[in-house]
Amino acid sequence: MFEELCHRWKEETSTPSTDFMAIVMNSAYQRIISLGWDAVPLILAELKIQPDHWGWALEAITGENPVPAEAEGDIEQIGSAWLQWGRANHLIA
Amino acid sequence: MSLPARVLAAFPGIVESECLHTSPEDRRYNCIAHAAGDHRRWWQPEKVPHTYWPKGILRTSTLDAYEAAFGTLGYVRCANDSLEPGLEKVAIFMNPTKGPTHAARQLEDGPWTSKLGLLEDIGHPLRQVEGHVYGVVATFMSRPRKKVTSP
Repeated sequence: MFEELCHRWKEETSTPSTDFMAIVMNSAYQRIISLGWDAVPLILAELKIQPDHWGWALEAITGENPVPAEAEGDIEQIGSAWLQWGRANHLIA
Repeated sequence: MSLPARVLAAFPGIVESECLHTSPEDRRYNCIAHAAGDHRRWWQPEKVPHTYWPKGILRTSTLDAYEAAFGTLGYVRCANDSLEPGLEKVAIFMNPTKGPTHAARQLEDGPWTSKLGLLEDIGHPLRQVEGHVYGVVATFMSRPRKKVTSP
């Protein structure tokens, strides 16, 4: 389910006019958020492979925001902050 | 590299022989960031988490806000897209119903460079990306071009 939604999200947002709201309001992305905490380790595993716009989903699910203000907009730094958070919370190795 | 079919489909005005596919798809940065020379961050005028906008600039998707954002990089409004030695120009596109949609930057030898959403960067004649996706160019801005120095 997660892999399918993730694939759909990337496919549907790969357009020349996609802006940030289109990325995070995409229906597949919203369905991933609706999976709740079950999705968190899967998103973190995705982040380990490749940074992407997962900060919004992780914050929506967990209610946390480990991203420092100076990292705004930088998906590599945002991803690193979430991976660090995931390790600290024993959600990924 | 030839242009992907999805790019040609979105921009019917593109003449493939006059454009260059200059980077692979990259989800880290968007068109505004690319025009601003920033390949690390996603620039977004609306105040939404996990996006960047220059500090002190109104977070709203208006032409004024875009101009102010580029103003923080030293750009000032200019008259047109002509190639002027020593000047680097950006063009901001507007769609009449959506507001500002896109920004492109002029390269030193005349063509323009654009990042297409989450997709690739391309080099192109400016007006070839006008159309139903981005609308039309609404304003031009320029600043002194930085000299590239050898290490």
